[in-house]
Amino acid sequence: MIHPANLEALTSTDLRGTAPMICVTAGIVLALLAEIAPALRPARGLAFVGSLLAAIAFELRLVADPAGEVFHGAFAASSRSATWGVLFCCAALIAWTYGRRYYKEEAGHVAEHDLLMLCSTLGMMLMAGSRDLITFFVGLELLSVPLYSLAAFRRVRATSVEAGLRYFVLGAFAAGLFLYGSALVYAATGTVSLAGLHDASLGSPLALVGAALIAASLFFKVSVFPFHFWVPDVYQGSPTPVTTFMATGTKAAGFAFLLEVAFVMPPSSAGLIAAIAVVTMALGNLGALVQSDLKRLFAYSAVAHAGTLLLVVAASLAGDPRAAGPVDAALYYMAAYVFTAGGAFGLVALLEADGERFTKLESLRGLGRRRPGISAALSLFMLSLGGFPATGGFLGKYFVFSSTLRADLVWASVIGVLLSVVALGYYLRVILTLWMLPEPEGERAPEVRRLSATLVTGVCAAMVLWLGLFPGWFLERFLN
Amino acid sequence: MANLLFYLVSLGAVVGALGVVAARNPVVSVLSLLGTFFCLATIYLLAGFEFLAAAQILVYAGAIMVLFLFVIMLLNLGGQERPLMDHTLAMSRRLPLVVLVGVALAAVSFFAVARSGEAQAAAEAAPLQVDTLGGLAQMVFGTYLLPFELSSVLLLAAAIAVLVLAKRERGEAGR
Repeated sequence: MIHPANLEALTSTDLRGTAPMICVTAGIVLALLAEIAPALRPARGLAFVGSLLAAIAFELRLVADPAGEVFHGAFAASSRSATWGVLFCCAALIAWTYGRRYYKEEAGHVAEHDLLMLCSTLGMMLMAGSRDLITFFVGLELLSVPLYSLAAFRRVRATSVEAGLRYFVLGAFAAGLFLYGSALVYAATGTVSLAGLHDASLGSPLALVGAALIAASLFFKVSVFPFHFWVPDVYQGSPTPVTTFMATGTKAAGFAFLLEVAFVMPPSSAGLIAAIAVVTMALGNLGALVQSDLKRLFAYSAVAHAGTLLLVVAASLAGDPRAAGPVDAALYYMAAYVFTAGGAFGLVALLEADGERFTKLESLRGLGRRRPGISAALSLFMLSLGGFPATGGFLGKYFVFSSTLRADLVWASVIGVLLSVVALGYYLRVILTLWMLPEPEGERAPEVRRLSATLVTGVCAAMVLWLGLFPGWFLERFLN
Repeated sequence: MANLLFYLVSLGAVVGALGVVAARNPVVSVLSLLGTFFCLATIYLLAGFEFLAAAQILVYAGAIMVLFLFVIMLLNLGGQERPLMDHTLAMSRRLPLVVLVGVALAAVSFFAVARSGEAQAAAEAAPLQVDTLGGLAQMVFGTYLLPFELSSVLLLAAAIAVLVLAKRERGEAGR
């Protein structure tokens, strides 16, 4: 029987909790409508930026005053999910701004590009707040389907099409793993809601296999060993603004839910997860050492950072799964990472617009003298990625490793810190190339200048320093 | 009897799915997919989900299959077996990996089911009343209203995504 009580109109709490998502959806519709007449085209950028800024504003209100579980418990508008939401919107804005005038052959399709990016952001927000596996799956697909197409966006390039195809095939496989895992978990416990799973007994082998499959599919999305093989090729082949978005937003969304759902794995698996994290860090950092292409170098570094964040998952498994400490550490780390990696990948996108060869590390020789602004910003991002003190990246790493130590995973923390030192090797190499090496003879330096890119680079650099120097602001405002 | 039917239909679904990837002729692929859909619908029916079974046949076997066939006919792929054959060759090289992953997944789940006994919990809890149309509607427009609404955005996103990949530029038509 249908109970009218269950079909009653939306409550104001429902609307308040999903207001950011409603903003983004409105942005999608407006951006779509802006394409009906040439005169309306300039309104598209306005719809994109406006909807995301409005979403950020609503998320900030939710951070201060959470709406709790809305839509019959399908979605949690907690201050945590709202903080993730702010990060997703920032990631989309950064990637979009750097992507302006990046596409030359595809200039006619930029409208679709923006629309797909908004759809993907909406999927991320749904993922971070979902309170059951079905809602999460819709979010996951809403994130992934636009990204498959965005990865292959530069259709005239074989590498881009290949990146899209590879991402699609592996993504479809991961989605299949997730569904199969969810089905097994449901068969074992009779529920798919996280609240129900909290109360259910998860010890049966069936539930364990299900949890392992769910974890595997999420490991794919956040690019963790042994599901990281696709990362270098896809990151390199995709258009750089899309790579920026993938590296920051997708990873944040994957970890947001991974941390929420980590409790379905038994506490005894903490050691295994920590081992996977350490192996991921090792593969990422050692792989990055030998790269000569900036995009590929950053891709390997992205794998290493995913490994570092996975330590947080291990820490939350080993300690009290409901303790806030590890999740807060992950949020801080990711907040710093969104601005750092966003800026770093974004600057590559900016330089690449002046010629494909500027993604090569050696083409940046002596750039410090010609373009001190870009070089200084890129150096700052490198230092933050490497975890230098006074940058956001340092504090992020500090919080992650201290939460790992508190969970008694001393060996993992020690190896992690050592690998971070290895990582400095390639980050410093980039800085060295920029400032110390002589300029190449007879080669043109990148001349591209763009006000929007300068602005967003400035914002990213300021946020990296702000997070590094005044952590109290973020901790009080977002993490209490 | 129902058990026997279930195993028969499951076997049919698996064979059909294999046929989709293994067939060289796209029309054969599509027909295999059709067979898989029918087998799945029968499984739904055996589990007591009449509406889902009907929807499966109407939506997938009816509408989507016809669309697939239309696309294949329009693109005139029926006669061109060569590019697809190369694909099959590329796949056969990865066949060991595919078989390995498949067998591993199957073995692990068989093992888990054997160790857990019958998967009783879900049957005992049975909070989802999707066997009646009313129960299904209540779930879709009640508990899962948010994902249901957002899946419409997902469909929109998929349509745009395909458009980006498939739209032909001027001067690109010959490719």
